[in-house]
Amino acid sequence: MPSPTPPPHASSASRSLPVLSGGDGTQPAGRVLASTRRHAAASLYIHVPFCFHKCHYCDFYSIVDTRDRQEPFVHRLEHELEALSPWVRRPLDTLFVGGGTPSLLSPSLWRRLLRRLDELFGTASMAGRGGEFTVECNPETVTDDLAAALAAGGVTRVSMGAQSFHPGHLKTLERWHDPANVPLALERMRQAGIVRQSIDLIFGIPGQTMDEWLQDLEIACSLGTEHLSCYGLTYEQGTAMNARLERGDFQPIDHDLEADMFDATVERLGRHGLRRYELSNFARPGAECRHNLVYWRQGNWIAAGPSASGHVDGLRWKNRPRLDDYLQDTPDRTALIADAETPDPVRNLVEAMMTGLRLAEGVDARAMLSFAAAIDDRRRDRLASWATRLGERGMLEAADDRWRLTPTGMRLANQAILEAAEAIDPS
Amino acid sequence: MSDQPPNIRNFSIIAHIDHGKSTLADRLLQATNAVSSREARDQILDSMDLERERGITIKASAVTVMHRHKMGSKTDDLEAEFEAPVDDTGEHKTAKGQAAEHGDLFMMNFIDTPGHVDFNYEVSRALKACEGAVLVVDSTQGVQAQTLVNAYLAVNENLTIIPVINKIDLPSAQPDEVADEIEQTLGFKAEDCILVSAKTGQGIKELLAAICERLPAPRKPVVEQLRALIFDAVYDDYRGVVVYARIFDGRLRVGDKIRMMGTQRTFQVTDMGKMTPKPVRVKELGPGETGYVVAAIRSLKDVRIGDTITLENNPATEALEGYQPPRQMVFCDFYPATKEEGESTDFEDLREAVEKLSLNDSSFTFQPVHSEALGFGFRCGFLGLLHMDIIQERLEREGGVEIVQTAPTVSYHVVCRGVEDVVSPTGQVLKVIARSGVRHDGSQRGDVVEALAKAAKDHGIPDGHTLVEVHNPAELPNGSVIAEIREPICRVDLMIPKNNIGDIMKLCMDRRGLYKSQSFVSPTRDLLQFEMPLAEIIYDFFDKMKGMTSGYGTMDYEVIRYQPDNLVKMDILVNGEAVEALSIIVHRDRAEQRGRVLLTKLKDQIPRHQFEIPLQAAIGGKIIARETIKAFRKDVLAKCYGGDVSRKRKLLEKQKEGKKRMKNVGSVSIPQEAFMAVLDTGD
Ligand SMILES: Nc1nc2c(ncn2[C@@H]2O[C@H](COP(=O)(O)OP(=O)(O)OP(=O)(O)O)[C@@H](O)[C@H]2O)c(=O)[nH]1
Ligand code: SF4
Ligand SMILES: [Mg+2]
Repeated sequence: MPSPTPPPHASSASRSLPVLSGGDGTQPAGRVLASTRRHAAASLYIHVPFCFHKCHYCDFYSIVDTRDRQEPFVHRLEHELEALSPWVRRPLDTLFVGGGTPSLLSPSLWRRLLRRLDELFGTASMAGRGGEFTVECNPETVTDDLAAALAAGGVTRVSMGAQSFHPGHLKTLERWHDPANVPLALERMRQAGIVRQSIDLIFGIPGQTMDEWLQDLEIACSLGTEHLSCYGLTYEQGTAMNARLERGDFQPIDHDLEADMFDATVERLGRHGLRRYELSNFARPGAECRHNLVYWRQGNWIAAGPSASGHVDGLRWKNRPRLDDYLQDTPDRTALIADAETPDPVRNLVEAMMTGLRLAEGVDARAMLSFAAAIDDRRRDRLASWATRLGERGMLEAADDRWRLTPTGMRLANQAILEAAEAIDPS
Repeated sequence: MSDQPPNIRNFSIIAHIDHGKSTLADRLLQATNAVSSREARDQILDSMDLERERGITIKASAVTVMHRHKMGSKTDDLEAEFEAPVDDTGEHKTAKGQAAEHGDLFMMNFIDTPGHVDFNYEVSRALKACEGAVLVVDSTQGVQAQTLVNAYLAVNENLTIIPVINKIDLPSAQPDEVADEIEQTLGFKAEDCILVSAKTGQGIKELLAAICERLPAPRKPVVEQLRALIFDAVYDDYRGVVVYARIFDGRLRVGDKIRMMGTQRTFQVTDMGKMTPKPVRVKELGPGETGYVVAAIRSLKDVRIGDTITLENNPATEALEGYQPPRQMVFCDFYPATKEEGESTDFEDLREAVEKLSLNDSSFTFQPVHSEALGFGFRCGFLGLLHMDIIQERLEREGGVEIVQTAPTVSYHVVCRGVEDVVSPTGQVLKVIARSGVRHDGSQRGDVVEALAKAAKDHGIPDGHTLVEVHNPAELPNGSVIAEIREPICRVDLMIPKNNIGDIMKLCMDRRGLYKSQSFVSPTRDLLQFEMPLAEIIYDFFDKMKGMTSGYGTMDYEVIRYQPDNLVKMDILVNGEAVEALSIIVHRDRAEQRGRVLLTKLKDQIPRHQFEIPLQAAIGGKIIARETIKAFRKDVLAKCYGGDVSRKRKLLEKQKEGKKRMKNVGSVSIPQEAFMAVLDTGD
């Protein structure tokens, strides 16, 4: 069932808050959060910045693990979580621990962190209350000990970074794991009682064929996962992958083949009963990642850990990414931020369209038009004509007062969103 | 400096690019104590930012130093060794008194010149102001194309040349072999070469002695009235135009009222001096001397380089021999670009920048143009590709504008049927160079008709025809009036390692080159001479030649005539619409190949749209090459990780900006870079 899209906080814009930008880092998150409602967020994201090797396509903040920094990190995180707790609602609805490679934290540190999380937010009993507690894992790092620790601490769901089941393609990505360990890791988790499982896969890897991709999908489905994330490989600025591309080490995949893979994914996973509920995410009905839906529906969540970003009622902020900066203590014990954006009706509307259109459920057309009208009539008119135009091009479907991207629109989502942004904010 | 030193030596330092002219100038300045070692820095005469960054000399600069020499001696003491360094008062030191034991006082006026072929005219000008030339040859590189060309320029001016072999400090130096090459190619005796290291200063004593011994003193005045040759002029925000002049006859004093014999304009001299290299004021300049002259001249347009200065109240009757103004050989359009931040440099900003720069560099031309795709801009003419590059960079840097540049073309002579004015498809009346026959409406003045008729004879224009100049493919008149199209042909000198001769021959032939001669330079290298269309040279010939010779080949070229060939205009159609800014003039036989290369480049540059875009190259409506930019089918941003929505939105903003920076042709958005991609001709 599509849930109503919450308003893009146009009303909260009136709240005065100093405009922050660029951040020289002197500002802790607590300062910008001070003006927001207490207990506004029932969701929490925690970023664990360690990896044992940097994958070549990756532009997330992670550092190659130096074991001696795990303890200081957890120590700092405990303080940060405590400091953030006034803004977190209990019981917590969703918690997502991402990275980096959270499963790289030692089981003993995990136990300590989970204990603290439970004290602060009652996480151990989230499952019983219908909550969702996800931890991202790398197949190489999952031991029985870790699985047991996570399960005991209330973790309900794991997201396994498989990326590909073909060693050759993993090599291209410089992603270090043995694909044979994926089923083993998932089995260990299942044995420990964590049965909600998701797998991450990447398509469009240089040299990948359609058959290989479909094989990856089949293997993933055969492992009993209820949820799959399938991302097209992108070459982000500053990654090794991008440098290799520019150096001419390999040819990027053919555009048409990539588009076909995108379409084939929907078709193939559909056969297995996994429905596309977001551009790149597929799930059995009811198995959608609730935490990610919070992001896409403009919900509120609190962020902890280096580079983590959060959102409360139109206010967005992001912690400073470097571990060294993060480890620095602050008077209120929240983390130093890199950037914050105060609520702004135009920006929030762009964001609502940008994230909402990624979802199969789409956005509430009437709500979007009235937010645009609240800014000015010209924007509403432009937004309305955007919808008409996209409809004519077969990219958008308007029904039950919702705007949804069609399969073609999904494939060209970036264009659709770009044009929406131009309509809302042509400057 | 009121007592006139008895001895003057005027010389230019000439060489192939990078052989060490500017560094040698540094050593001369230091050895003669003109700059203290404290003030010394590398290539001190290269004062422009761009010169310093690129490590090349663009403008010639003239300096004056004082030096003592005992006649007959083969090596000199250096001022730096027996005098205190120059003080800070800016006064030029006078090496007199106890210094007298070191010999007679010589005033040396010398000019460091650029080595690059585009700036050859700077060398020609400099040589006219001198009696001698120091020809520098890099001992690790040997005689190169511009070594020869510059040496010939000096020989033609009847200058005395001192061959200098430089960089002998380097382990790879081969001074003996290079001396043999110099003997072989230029006829100087190998033993007359002076071996130096401009880096360590080795050999500078011998060079200074040779300058005093071998170079002639300035010729005696032949008339009593003032005659001074303007060999350079620069624009200065404070003083206006600063003229550099060499006095041949008479004297020039501050306060004199002067007359330019060519332009007939008059000015009052307010200030004069010499660069030492600090500017040092003088009250007067006499025969053989060189200095700068300030005379409240507001614009570079008011002076002509090569003009003769005389006195208003006692004028000379005959001007000195001047020189040909430099000719613009390469043309392209500059349009204002839309900047990264989305705001555009507008046309007015560009105009201001262009006009300001033209005050500084009178050797590029500009005229307003309009293009459908790129809006209003300027068609500019340059001395060569490097000059074009430099002008563009200076406009962007000094003028604060961003520029979209179109592919460079050469200037064509188009013979048209009829004696009427010829109008381009864009509505421009084209510049008439020659016409045989009288225009029927009788509106022209008799002397103009006569001049055009004479030019027609010179250019070999048949009766009833008009010769016009076209340097923009968009302005090529419609096919039916064109009798023939003529293009500039160059004499190309190539200094090529022996084992690359075959490849270079083939390259030249492919580029419509006509083989002229091959001669021996050294056991490892030969000199090849070809005649080749300039259009082929500016189409990445230099890069190709460098590549084939692993960087060892060098070349020089000079336009020698215009010649008809089977030339056609090639249009580029994007989604069925011709984009004038992309059209080029090519040889019919080379059109397919050029068209294909160009379309491939464009295909890489123009992003996919939601529809398929045909790209076509056409000649007179006939398609000769095609490519297709396929419609894009997938455009999905990567994962929205950890809810970092701001980052995603900023990415979106960037894409929005990107779209704004595109130029629209019909419904196709073409990135500005695509217009530049056409420049990058490598295949
Ligand atoms: N080792 C060594 N290097 C030298 C010597 N003379 C010049 N160089 C170097 O050669 C390079 C070119 O020197 P320049 O003096 O700029 O050459 P140029 O002839 O003025 O160059 P253009 O003005 O661009 O034609 C610089 O890197 C100098 O440092 C020398 O005697 N020995
Ligand atoms: S494991 Fe994940 S976070 Fe770590 S480097 Fe690889 S892709 Fe990036
Ligand atoms: Mg130089």
